[in-house]
Amino acid sequence: MRHHEEENEEETMKVKVRFFAQFGELLGTDIIVEPVSGTVLSGLIKEIAQRNKDGYNAIFDEKDTFREFVILMRNGKRVDTIDAVTTKVADDDEIAVFPPVAGG
Amino acid sequence: MLSERERERYKRQILLFGEEGQEKLKKSRIFIAGAGGLGCPISLYLAVAGIGTLTVVDRDVVEQTNLNRQILHYDRDIGKKKTVSAGEKLREINPDIRVNVIDTTIDETNVLRLVGNADGIVDAMDNFPTRYLLNEAAINKKIPLFHGAIRGLYGQATTIIPGKTGCLRCIFPNAPPKEVFPVVGVAPGFIGMVQATEVLKYLLGSGELLANRLFLWDGMRSHGEEIAVTRNPGCMACGTMRKRTRKKP
Repeated sequence: MRHHEEENEEETMKVKVRFFAQFGELLGTDIIVEPVSGTVLSGLIKEIAQRNKDGYNAIFDEKDTFREFVILMRNGKRVDTIDAVTTKVADDDEIAVFPPVAGG
Repeated sequence: MLSERERERYKRQILLFGEEGQEKLKKSRIFIAGAGGLGCPISLYLAVAGIGTLTVVDRDVVEQTNLNRQILHYDRDIGKKKTVSAGEKLREINPDIRVNVIDTTIDETNVLRLVGNADGIVDAMDNFPTRYLLNEAAINKKIPLFHGAIRGLYGQATTIIPGKTGCLRCIFPNAPPKEVFPVVGVAPGFIGMVQATEVLKYLLGSGELLANRLFLWDGMRSHGEEIAVTRNPGCMACGTMRKRTRKKP
């Protein structure tokens, strides 16, 4: 079992990360990444968001935690941003990251 | 009963949902919170559709910067109360309905009284704190909340049926920060039409609502999609409500 896990760590997966609204303008709308096994949701999004400072700051605060209004979905299901630090991504996952809009 | 004039006025939509459906709309009361970018097109289209009683609440005065999107207010209305301006246009476009306008700020002390015996609440606000009050009023009165919001060319909409779907707090537990948001009129026009369509379907008891579905619109890419949402059992607003089936008006 352990041996099998170690093997998996060498493998990569394909995960699609989709940024909506402002997040998409700053970071791109559909991004395909190949994270290594064991990558957690928050780590994955941080890594992508670091490509653009404004994009990163739109999603994360000074303490590098998700801003409280950010909404995360994994395969159509809501993931609490607090749980994103422990939620591991899997092959073929589709992650959506979006800010609610508030105007009217 | 529909008058002869009403039968003529609504002839083309009676083809779609019959005189019975039109009667249902005539007996309905809809509360519209806001006469701005969303509230203008929503109230306009609900008025011409023949919703019997529309109540529109707003606290603001028409300003020049409103005119790129708040289509019930004309250049000549600058300086006028939005409720007065909206009331005039809505009564003029359809004299066969009742239009109530209330010039006030919606707050926790008056929201239940303002909503009164409405069959549904339309969220046409521009801020989340007031939206949360409308959400609580909808839960309290067990009536739907038709949510919509926009920014730039983006928009979102969903229909909240208390006890059945996730509420606004389940979906958006925390409000995004306040800002002077960029907006072009077509965005609230588009999202407002989604909300108005939801109102009509709910009142007619037909079609499929945006229940537990958050519709997201990206006008820049002309791309719409939806995200499944659910009730949060620990929700501070609706967590203690029992599940219930849809109440038809």
